[in-house]
Amino acid sequence: MSESETENRIPPKKARSRSRMSIDDKTNKTLKDLDVKTPEAIGELFAELSLALDSERQHLIGEGASDDHERAQKVKALRDRWLARKGGQVSLIDENWLKKAPKELKPTVGRAFNQLRQQSASVETEQLLQDVPIRGSATAHPETTKAEFGVGRPSVDITLPGYRRPLGSIHPVTRVMREIEDIFLGLGFSIESGPEVESVYYSFDALNIPESHPARDEWDTLYVNSETVLRPHTSPVQIRAMKKHGAPLYILCPGKAYRHDNPDSTHATMFHQVEGLAVDTDITFADLKGTLEYFAKKFFGDKIKTNFSPSFFPFTEPSGELVISCVFCGGEGCRVCKESGWVEVMGCGMVHPEVLRHGGIDPERYSGWAFGLGVERFAMMKYDINDIQLFHQGDVRFLEQF
Amino acid sequence: MKVSLNWLKEFVEVPVDTRRLKADLVSIGLNAESSQAVGEDIVLDVEVTSNRPDCLSHYGVAREVAALYRKRLAPLEFICKESSAPASAEASIDILNPKLCARYCGRVIRGVEVKPSPDWLVRRLEAVGQRSINNVADVTNYVLMELGHPLHAFDLTRLEGRKVIVRSAKAGEQLQTLDGVSRTLVATDLVIADATRPVALAGVMGGEKSEISDNTQTILLESAWFDPVSIRRTSKSQGLHTEASHRFERGADIEMAPVALDRAAVLIAQLAGGEILRGVIDVYPSPKIRTFIELHRSEIQRVLGAEVPWEEVERVLRTLGFQVERRGTEGWRVTPPSFRQDVERKIDLIEEVARHYGYNRLPSRVRPAPPRLIAGQTRNKELEISSTLVALGYREIIPSAMIDPEENAKFTERPPVPLENPLSQDAAAMRSSAVPSMVHTLKWNLDRYRSDLRLFEMGRVYSARAKGLPEERRVLVLGATGNREPASIYSAEKKIDFHDLKGDIEEVLDCFNLPDLRFEPAAAPYLEKGSAGRFVSGEAALAILGSLRADLADEYKLRGRTVWLAAIELDALLSAALRQPSYKPISKFPPVERDFSLVIPRSTPYGRLQEAIRGLGIEELRSVAPVERRLPGDKELPEGAIPPGHVSLLLRITFQSPTRTLASDEVETQSRRIVAALGPLGVQIRG
Ligand SMILES: [Zn+2]
Repeated sequence: MSESETENRIPPKKARSRSRMSIDDKTNKTLKDLDVKTPEAIGELFAELSLALDSERQHLIGEGASDDHERAQKVKALRDRWLARKGGQVSLIDENWLKKAPKELKPTVGRAFNQLRQQSASVETEQLLQDVPIRGSATAHPETTKAEFGVGRPSVDITLPGYRRPLGSIHPVTRVMREIEDIFLGLGFSIESGPEVESVYYSFDALNIPESHPARDEWDTLYVNSETVLRPHTSPVQIRAMKKHGAPLYILCPGKAYRHDNPDSTHATMFHQVEGLAVDTDITFADLKGTLEYFAKKFFGDKIKTNFSPSFFPFTEPSGELVISCVFCGGEGCRVCKESGWVEVMGCGMVHPEVLRHGGIDPERYSGWAFGLGVERFAMMKYDINDIQLFHQGDVRFLEQF
Repeated sequence: MKVSLNWLKEFVEVPVDTRRLKADLVSIGLNAESSQAVGEDIVLDVEVTSNRPDCLSHYGVAREVAALYRKRLAPLEFICKESSAPASAEASIDILNPKLCARYCGRVIRGVEVKPSPDWLVRRLEAVGQRSINNVADVTNYVLMELGHPLHAFDLTRLEGRKVIVRSAKAGEQLQTLDGVSRTLVATDLVIADATRPVALAGVMGGEKSEISDNTQTILLESAWFDPVSIRRTSKSQGLHTEASHRFERGADIEMAPVALDRAAVLIAQLAGGEILRGVIDVYPSPKIRTFIELHRSEIQRVLGAEVPWEEVERVLRTLGFQVERRGTEGWRVTPPSFRQDVERKIDLIEEVARHYGYNRLPSRVRPAPPRLIAGQTRNKELEISSTLVALGYREIIPSAMIDPEENAKFTERPPVPLENPLSQDAAAMRSSAVPSMVHTLKWNLDRYRSDLRLFEMGRVYSARAKGLPEERRVLVLGATGNREPASIYSAEKKIDFHDLKGDIEEVLDCFNLPDLRFEPAAAPYLEKGSAGRFVSGEAALAILGSLRADLADEYKLRGRTVWLAAIELDALLSAALRQPSYKPISKFPPVERDFSLVIPRSTPYGRLQEAIRGLGIEELRSVAPVERRLPGDKELPEGAIPPGHVSLLLRITFQSPTRTLASDEVETQSRRIVAALGPLGVQIRG
């Protein structure tokens, strides 16, 4: 017998003896001693006994016996415990509860007692001898109630795989997005969303990208008509949120964006971005740096190094690019980082005063910082995925890996 | 922008190796991605952002390098050896549209010999990706790469009336450009014309007629300044993007025009001979004067969160060409140079300071946002729904929201949102139903030998409106086919059916507090008729489910599979409150089960039995569960046990009271009431 089986056998016995004690305690006392005064309480008391009777019987049936002799012994023990003329639970109840019950409760106790007596027929010797099976081995697992476990112990092939019900899975883009959200929610940011089919005004003009500026060409845009586009970034939500909530504002805007890009392994027509924005009275470039460094280390691990370099976005100034040491090679240089040891992860900057103004916020009083990142790109870095098309095909062979 | 290191060194000393230079350029915003050796030279690939046309030249990059390493930038001094004949006698320049052409400088060079360029010039141009043409054309390109100012050389004798007129094109005018394309001009195009016709698309490309040829002897060199917006418009309308238009549309340096002109004239005289006629014909009707910007120290601090020393601010701005005048102890008056049109405000100056002070030297701090309650957040509800679906075995998909509008029409009558410039017919509109995306994804997997599928998407659908932005609704779509559980030693295989999907939706709906929730027959254009149903709460239809119409399944070539689909109105669901658990005491009294073996007409749906039983209002009724359902002819039953047109149903009803043990006669009484209530529905008790 293995150790674990020995251990397994002990606790149920203990549990059983504890509950038996408490029933015995009760049947040896009068209702008055037990402070049982109402029909409800009597009902509960009898319900407890009824359950105890049934569970002791079920337990014996589940346990079984190794041979006729043991069965006869076990059956007699249980029968006597409940039905012995002297000291059996039924006669104790008759003696201590029914006979000594106050007049007004007698009918209730009588009815309940009759029901219990009927039920107790199930532990009559004859009945039990029929119900309790003979098992092959005396060491049958005492805890189990299912016949096949006890009988089949030697034949259970424990090396067969566990029975796993098929679970579903969350899309890697959603996983990454939630992880990003969790980090910023933890910093007190809240989540905002906006339309994907967006006006040209919110997508460009309000973000300080006039039609006449060549920067506009950097967003290869899908048009619905001359005034409406599929938003080429999640940045329009910045303006909408500023207009809706005013300052101070600390928000995260996750969502889909679209570009007029022919699909290949690094370009998708539809992709996901997370936009972050903080506007308050005392925000400086230091907040931008500190928060994004914190975020990058939370997301990519605290071993990475971060670096900021200047860049240009019409809606931020000063603008920057957050670069981290390559998560694959640790900065040594590899295929992923094109041997540079560094990877650009997101654009960021101090919100341009014109953008604040378009959002109805006074740039003389408030300042802000913002960032935008590509979720698919993050997922590709996190899970070492080399083809962006995989995200939107819905191939189960891909999805089941997450 | 390709930058030759040797060329760069003509203007500034570079005290570091190439690797370091690249890293340092990145640190000031000039993204030097790669470099390669070209002969004895090294050529850097520098990505210049669209706000910095001044860095689209070797001299511009040299200026940044000078500021970076505190080195001296070589001044630009080009002295032309002019002849005594005045240029103005040979050619005339007239600007009819001074808004779009603010300056036009010209020089005339007579007696040049057009021939191939010398080797050093050919090599330099090739190093930066330019093809050599002839000595005159090459010089204009060389100056473009060196100083960033586009030039053009005309064969003066081919200009009718020896005239240059800068004017808007007349609609329909024709011009054959240097790329050999014959172009029809529009009125917004700005052209350079001679006395009779256009000879160049201003700032974009010259024309063939006035091109320098081997026989050219007299040239007119053009160095002008054109309005960025106008150049951009012409470049777009003509679909013509050139080195010249690239710079003009970003903003060229108006003060560089005569300097670049002289540089080119000197080089041409050197390489092609000829005499430079006296004087620059400089038409500059209203010289541009830049005004100063007030910059306060406190503003630098306010944006950067750091105190940058006085000297550092002044050094950075001065070496970048700004005039800096200290104003007391508060700050400065800063006048940006003509080549920095991108600098207009204080914030632009602060960025310059930050860029050269070093982003990585600036401090950083992390502070949480002030706590704030915002109503209407739906994230928790979405998490609840998706974790329920994952537990039920569904995998999340995120398919494209773009669709072929014809396909969309098979699934919904709502109009999709057509795109003006789609990439393909397959993606010509934003879908107004998310169901086809699901069908596509199921098919994708079936075609790849995966046949047991349960998928979900939480996405949006879009439909056009007469006015304003399209309507966007959030939807949850479920798709399932094949087995719920594959066959294994533990269980037999079990096909997914209608009730699997219905139960899964019930689990999702059960996350929410939905008043008056009911289920009723329904129809959708894509669902098989007669076996579709929907959940309704109050007046709102929440979810519709059924199987994909067989003919559609064939159309999609779904390999004869039954595909179960459900579309759930996510907005409606998310606007409901999450169900708040509320504890009810657990009954201490034993439950009593009663089985009813019923024979019911097939025409009587189970829902009516359940209603009839619930309608009795029996307080002790805990649950009603259909346990077994058999049809006539069931082999386990005796012949004729179930009459035709009927089914047998084993109904298990559980009674339990929270306050007492139920007496058997009580249970009998209630059971009789139940049987009586089922009678009018044609239900009989069997056996
Ligand atoms: Zn690497």
